[in-house]
Amino acid sequence: MEATRRGELALTQEAGRLERRLRRILLMLPYAIRNPGVTVGELAQRFDASSEKVVEDLQLVFLCGLPGYGPGDLIDVAIIEDRVFVDMADYFAAPLRLTPEEAVALYAGGEALVALPGMEEADALKRALAKLGDVLGAQEGADGGGIEMRILPGPAAHLARLRDALSRRRRVAIEYMSASRGELTAREVDPWALIVAWGRSYLVGLDHLSGEERMFRTDRVKSVTVTDADAPAPDRFEPQRYTRAFLDREGERSLELEISPGVARWFLDYYPVRSVIELDDGWRRVEMTASSDHWAATVLLRLGVEARAAQPTTAVEAAARLADAIAVAHEAVPEAAPR
Amino acid sequence: MARIERLINLVAALLETRRPLSAEEIRTRIAGYGQESKEAFRRSFERDKQALREMGVPVETRSLEPYGEEGEGYLIPKDRYYLPDLDLEPDELAALRIAVDTLLGPGEGAGTGLLKLSMGTEGPGLGAPRPIAGANVAVEDPHLSSLYEALTARTPVAFRYEDARGRVSQRRVEPWGLVHRAGHWYLVGRDGASGERRTFKLVRISELTSSDGSYEIPADADVSGAVGGEAWEFGGSEVGRATVRFAPEARWWAEQNLSHLPAAEASSGALDVDMPVGNDAALLGWVIGWGGSVVIVSPPELRRALVDHVAPWRPRVAESSR
Repeated sequence: MEATRRGELALTQEAGRLERRLRRILLMLPYAIRNPGVTVGELAQRFDASSEKVVEDLQLVFLCGLPGYGPGDLIDVAIIEDRVFVDMADYFAAPLRLTPEEAVALYAGGEALVALPGMEEADALKRALAKLGDVLGAQEGADGGGIEMRILPGPAAHLARLRDALSRRRRVAIEYMSASRGELTAREVDPWALIVAWGRSYLVGLDHLSGEERMFRTDRVKSVTVTDADAPAPDRFEPQRYTRAFLDREGERSLELEISPGVARWFLDYYPVRSVIELDDGWRRVEMTASSDHWAATVLLRLGVEARAAQPTTAVEAAARLADAIAVAHEAVPEAAPR
Repeated sequence: MARIERLINLVAALLETRRPLSAEEIRTRIAGYGQESKEAFRRSFERDKQALREMGVPVETRSLEPYGEEGEGYLIPKDRYYLPDLDLEPDELAALRIAVDTLLGPGEGAGTGLLKLSMGTEGPGLGAPRPIAGANVAVEDPHLSSLYEALTARTPVAFRYEDARGRVSQRRVEPWGLVHRAGHWYLVGRDGASGERRTFKLVRISELTSSDGSYEIPADADVSGAVGGEAWEFGGSEVGRATVRFAPEARWWAEQNLSHLPAAEASSGALDVDMPVGNDAALLGWVIGWGGSVVIVSPPELRRALVDHVAPWRPRVAESSR
């Protein structure tokens, strides 16, 4: 049984390798045909393969062609002093149309950047996306071929200052409404990047208040001042890390609670959790990371009666204080509202 | 002969043929199949067709009757295989290159897509990615490309849907558009059961299949209007208005982020903003995050709903029962 499964796995992996190789060949051939004399090295770099693999691919193509498979039917491939010439294969002179995956990724990435105010290439990018939309059979007048990005980019003036600081490598001083503290904090940050994620824009950099790498939602930044202090480039900066998992990392505290069946689906879509156990009465026991008691309190209050048995007690106490502040502020509004 | 050679020969032959090739012609004429028995050929050819279709190669089945023969044949229509020339200007290609470089998370499709668009050497250079920007647009969602394919082909889809409250239903939907909001993708389209515009969150979709038929997208279809920017703007309920008061210490947030909405000065330096609300629960959740410095003034029912909502956690209750 185990052997069979391993056999199936090997078959799947082989199919994956074959598919990747065929994709690369069907992508590389048009380029080689249209650019006679291109070097093996350039093909290797452009199509992300070793020079050996590129040569192997070309040798393989040399054996292929049209039925008859005589000298006039086979694809003609010559590698002369590292330069590649492909002939007799006009039918491979244009690439395969975009797959849905490719189209969606190009569109979504492009649209997200267009939405960030102040990007100098935005105009060219819009034109490119419009041309792309036309060939994909987009609806007349429907930008993005039916794909739309709702991006809340944050204040344009902040983004302009952050871009300036990034390009000149200057430290910024910001006032920031911290969700974990529930209050405005003043910090100095060495900016590393502006990132669009979860539909918003974020400043990423070294936060001197915590001494750690942090993300700041630009809409929660009250003010940005570019200072004269140098902001050295990070030793190691991996933008690919800014996935949902990065947000989970922020707090080391734990919040445990039980949530009702009615809110479970929504809650588990919305908040990253460490573990979930379904209880006998259908409620779920959830364990999650919390950046602070204040943040944990906002989670508990959002749930209202749909949450029970919360731990630790400091989080429950914070929830009590927060509930009181909110209720008092709302009860202070006169019943007959002005205006 | 290696299977990959056979596949290249198959694509070449089906692209170049003027009329559909019958299975027998493929078996006897295309290099790589010749040695096989009919039964072995049938299996190999099925596997090859499937592999090519999964890669996006449009292998089509056509009747051979117009050619005075019986049965079915196969071909790859040139207009469905070849990517038309987009005539992208160098600056347009360079801008696309930046978009691809800044894409965060899984999204390799963008890279190969760009390669297909840049077949000339005058295209974008292979310079290092600019580290100062990035975009995470969650294109790894498993249903995204299937729904996009259905959308561009105007093919209705069917799926199982679990709503926010965990209620499950079977749906048949004509897709009008796909919208990304706050890290999640939404399908907007005409719901078969109600005949009306509905919004579905992709993470709650399962058992997705394409159904028969085709449809038109109405000229007045409002896709982006179906998905609000902020969480409180859209959801189950009709969009109404609420007056929300920002205390002096919080009004800066409204001034810089809600400047497009009508606002009025309130007493003691506070600011009242008139906000569209389509999701009462989301509004309450958002106001809670402000801890009392943002207050719902009206409608009064919503204000009282918030007081009732947080009541179980207030100190008196907290000490006795929690």
